[in-house]
Amino acid sequence: MNSSERAVILVKNLSKRYGRIEAIDDVSFEIPRGSIFGLLGTNGAGKTTTFKCMLGLARADRGRVELDGAPLRPKTFEELAYVPETNALYDWMTGNDHLEFTRRSFRGYDAARARALIDTFQIDPTRKAAKLSKGQQSALALTLAFSIRPRLLVLDEPSAGLDPLHQRHVLDLLIDAAASGATVLLSSHQIGQVERAADHVAILHQGKIVIQGEVDQLKANEKIVEATFDPRAPELRELEADSSVRRIVRNGRIVRAFVRGNPDEVARRINAAAPTSIRVLDQNLEDIFVTAVGVQASADPAREA
Amino acid sequence: MPAILTVDPRSGVPLYHQIVEQVKRSVALGVLEPGEQLPTVKQLATDLTVNPNTVARAYRDLERDGVIDTAPGRGSFVRNDGSSGRARRALRDVTRSALNDAIREAKSIGLDRTDVTEIFQRTLDRWYVVGPSAEDSKKQ
Repeated sequence: MNSSERAVILVKNLSKRYGRIEAIDDVSFEIPRGSIFGLLGTNGAGKTTTFKCMLGLARADRGRVELDGAPLRPKTFEELAYVPETNALYDWMTGNDHLEFTRRSFRGYDAARARALIDTFQIDPTRKAAKLSKGQQSALALTLAFSIRPRLLVLDEPSAGLDPLHQRHVLDLLIDAAASGATVLLSSHQIGQVERAADHVAILHQGKIVIQGEVDQLKANEKIVEATFDPRAPELRELEADSSVRRIVRNGRIVRAFVRGNPDEVARRINAAAPTSIRVLDQNLEDIFVTAVGVQASADPAREA
Repeated sequence: MPAILTVDPRSGVPLYHQIVEQVKRSVALGVLEPGEQLPTVKQLATDLTVNPNTVARAYRDLERDGVIDTAPGRGSFVRNDGSSGRARRALRDVTRSALNDAIREAKSIGLDRTDVTEIFQRTLDRWYVVGPSAEDSKKQ
């Protein structure tokens, strides 16, 4: 990481247990200023717990959080917008009530921007929040968050319930915020959205971070060497000792080696076993996600652990 | 300028790499002219809907490779001195890597050196005038 990118959010060894369930276990990451950091994970992976522990809404059992080099303090919240996945609004308050409430609570409130966002998301501000659709509720919560021009944004599933057009608006807002120097942390199921907007990503699985880094770096590093053999793929045991090979999947005639770093050497060695064809495949963020959380794709039923 | 740049975020090719390559191509082809100003990082990030840091990184790489110059506060410009030659040379890497992939695959499916040479020669003949022309010798 570039040394000029000082971490604005530092999460170190964060752990939280609910009863017998380890919700998050030794979670650590750093977010550089002006970054959009995407936290990915399946349902129940611990994304929301991470956010809650970070913001003091739940007490972590272990670990620490620093924002701008200091622990959480009241002043932090003047420039921080948090949009939880649910219950971001008061059911009995209208959109206008929420705007007024936000105006009184945050010095940075920008009324013109709030109005513009209400228009963009086509929200009827005279309706009570309870009467808005799920998507409109999300849009209103985001409007409030962006209207205070925060320096830090923490968004839990910001696109939940939004139609594709409004999802696109959210993407534009994220990029505009980051370009203006804000730091964004978001969780999302929409890998495509994270792939576009985020420059850093961490993948959370069963409470642990299984992979993290710069999105472009991960893509450049993670390759698959796929070889087809006739009639059957050989064992290729010696490849397992290679530290650049993260995983080997054999399925009948096809072998896939998941390689970190330059795949040429691994390809050359597999080639020595005389396959009928061999190719190197790029991985997009979804592939990397699937590999990282070890979800067995239907094409890999014979995966060897 | 944005009209000539498109990125595919779903590709396995890093986004900054896609931007760098396309700008180099545009410079090499003269679509972007020496002295021409590039959009600001913020503008291009917004136009392409990609992270500003990604664009900034692409610009840093382009500057390092001598294709553009960035003057703080003024913006980024295509370099006047030989940027198109440098961009053209940089694009050789793209060709080299594509040939590497093709030849690796050819070898793996059992073609020998003679087969590959023959295919290569025939492909060359299709696209380049046979015999040493001015165009070819310029590229040596």
